[in-house]
Amino acid sequence: MGKREFTIHVGPQHPALKEPENFVFKVDGEYVVDVEPRIGYNHRGIEKAMENRTYIQNLYIVERVCGICSNSHQTCYTQNVEELLGMEIPERAKYIRVLLAELERIHSHLLWLGVAAHEIGFDTLFYYIWRDREVVMDMLEEISGNRVNYAMPTIGGVRRDIAADKIPKYLKMLDVLEERTKFYKNICATEKTVLARADGVGFLSKEDAIRLNAVGPNLRASGVASDIRADSPYLVYDEIPWNVISYDSGDVFANVLVRVDETFESVNICRYCLEHLPDGPIRTIFSPLGKVPEGEAVSLVEAPRGELIHYIQSRGTDKPYRYKIRAPTLGNIPALCEKLRGGYIADIPIVLAGIDPCFSCTDRMVFVDEDRDKRWEMNGEQLRRYGVEWYK
Amino acid sequence: MDIVTWARTRSPWLIHFNAGACNACDIEVVAAITPRFDLERFGALLKGSPRHADVMVVTGSVSRQVRERLKRIYEQMPEPKFVVAVGACAISGGVFQQCYNVMEGVDKVIPVDAYIPGCSPKPEAILDGVVKLLKSAGY
Amino acid sequence: MEDHKRLIGEFTEFLGAENVMESKVPRERRVFVTIKTDKLRDAVKYLKDHEGLTHITTITGIDSGDEIEVLYHLAKKDLSLGLRVMAPMEEPVVDSIVDIFNGAGLYEREVHDILGVAFEGHPDMKRLILPDEWPEGVHPLLKKWTLNKIRETIDGKEW
Repeated sequence: MGKREFTIHVGPQHPALKEPENFVFKVDGEYVVDVEPRIGYNHRGIEKAMENRTYIQNLYIVERVCGICSNSHQTCYTQNVEELLGMEIPERAKYIRVLLAELERIHSHLLWLGVAAHEIGFDTLFYYIWRDREVVMDMLEEISGNRVNYAMPTIGGVRRDIAADKIPKYLKMLDVLEERTKFYKNICATEKTVLARADGVGFLSKEDAIRLNAVGPNLRASGVASDIRADSPYLVYDEIPWNVISYDSGDVFANVLVRVDETFESVNICRYCLEHLPDGPIRTIFSPLGKVPEGEAVSLVEAPRGELIHYIQSRGTDKPYRYKIRAPTLGNIPALCEKLRGGYIADIPIVLAGIDPCFSCTDRMVFVDEDRDKRWEMNGEQLRRYGVEWYK
Repeated sequence: MDIVTWARTRSPWLIHFNAGACNACDIEVVAAITPRFDLERFGALLKGSPRHADVMVVTGSVSRQVRERLKRIYEQMPEPKFVVAVGACAISGGVFQQCYNVMEGVDKVIPVDAYIPGCSPKPEAILDGVVKLLKSAGY
Repeated sequence: MEDHKRLIGEFTEFLGAENVMESKVPRERRVFVTIKTDKLRDAVKYLKDHEGLTHITTITGIDSGDEIEVLYHLAKKDLSLGLRVMAPMEEPVVDSIVDIFNGAGLYEREVHDILGVAFEGHPDMKRLILPDEWPEGVHPLLKKWTLNKIRETIDGKEW
């Protein structure tokens, strides 16, 4: 390590939200030279727990892998079990699952946009976006009965139906969301505060994105039009007209644009689902004591943060023999480290937030100068302020 | 009411600590400070540093890796301090009971003053819990 | 499905039929292949360079009783391929593929944590997800480590 290089520990605690994680940065002056992630603060042992619970019990633990993309995890899980059971779910259930998935994407992307605004010191925008996000939260609550952790997909279909007389109201709410998102897109594209902090920051080239196996909006912001919903369609995504969004510039600004445009696509998909909701039952029955035949299956779902994979191996009992979950954030960490390398310390919060991690922890950091054996601490709030001040 | 209690209950500063939660409670805690629910009208302010905070809002089932950090952050808070456990996981481990890497509840690690049940509790419930805590402190 | 069968055929020809133990196509866009452990790197290189499987989704480790299965989920646009190798239970060692797939480093560390599989040639096989104070040698996803046994080892009591 050179004379001027410092080591910074970031995490494991963050003031605004998200999970505790820890990053160790090596810095040279204002530049980040290298990054070393240490995850596991949130490791609970879910895969082991799932081997000890029945298939119906697992529905509810798999939902709580992540509270923001809970529906994606449940969809992925139910698809796996249904494939092993050889069960075909009703059309109406498929449409309702897609509707929920897209509402979840809207809520997640708006949440992210708000957090990103907070990270660049634009708190007015943060509060505005979170105010309007309540519209989609209301919709989710009315459809499923809960604001987060909706528990809608179940093995064989969905748990609740959508009342026909509520559909016009939902369509109106979607109009509000679309209009507000247009307003925010306009702000993001023209407001100097956003441009100064996002344009050209946290660059990831197309080659690196592919080489480091990035996923989701992070990959699409680097110019790769890859989306599980289009590449490997599940549910009814091949029947619904929609577009894969990708931008070429590979920076945080492209991340913003990808997510905002995906929100528009999601609104359109929701509209299509509500207008073309087929009649019929919403589920086929799976007994709570039901056993699943021997076999293995892989299920892929495009969660709001990217490609989500679940792998199941069954040995013919009422519990899975092995269940493996890989959430998109883990896939994005190598790309995140690449994005941070060569950037400024002041940009750490926004670049971390830029991949929409299920964790992003910039609190309580320790700066260590190894040569002079000197230590000082800085918390995430201070780092965020430091970033905001630095750009003044 | 003496002036110290008055000052203390009129501006409770919060720190939010995620002790291995699934993020559902966390986004609801953040939603509670946004315009629709507006926890800040009770004088509450979400702070980043434990040294500035009076109330620690803890979510999650407390994983082993986070346990020592939770203790350390609790110790950094100035007296008098309060702890609010938000969500089923923070109360008892919730759905993660009998997972090998969780401590099954915040009160196994640090003392808790208020519990807010739910998976996840709605922002209204979080508001209610914080207000009840303030009342018990002499609001 | 035809294209998947062609892929399996050409892959078997490249690796030699004696090195491919099992192959199946359970449904559209899914392929599972089991190969000999020492052919792993050749197989991964071939799939990446000749079949365009440039994305590694994850690595799954499975305790299948007397052996440990290591399942590499490789992917391209319309295919998710599970490449499986077996490692002995007593001393599970598999070659690392980090130099072929740069994104695989974290997945290998995860499998090392939970099942104790050593990846030969991995540049930095540190602990990834288990806590710092977790005892060495306790690999929670092994079937012999039941929940009660883990709890007893760490906390000295059962549930």
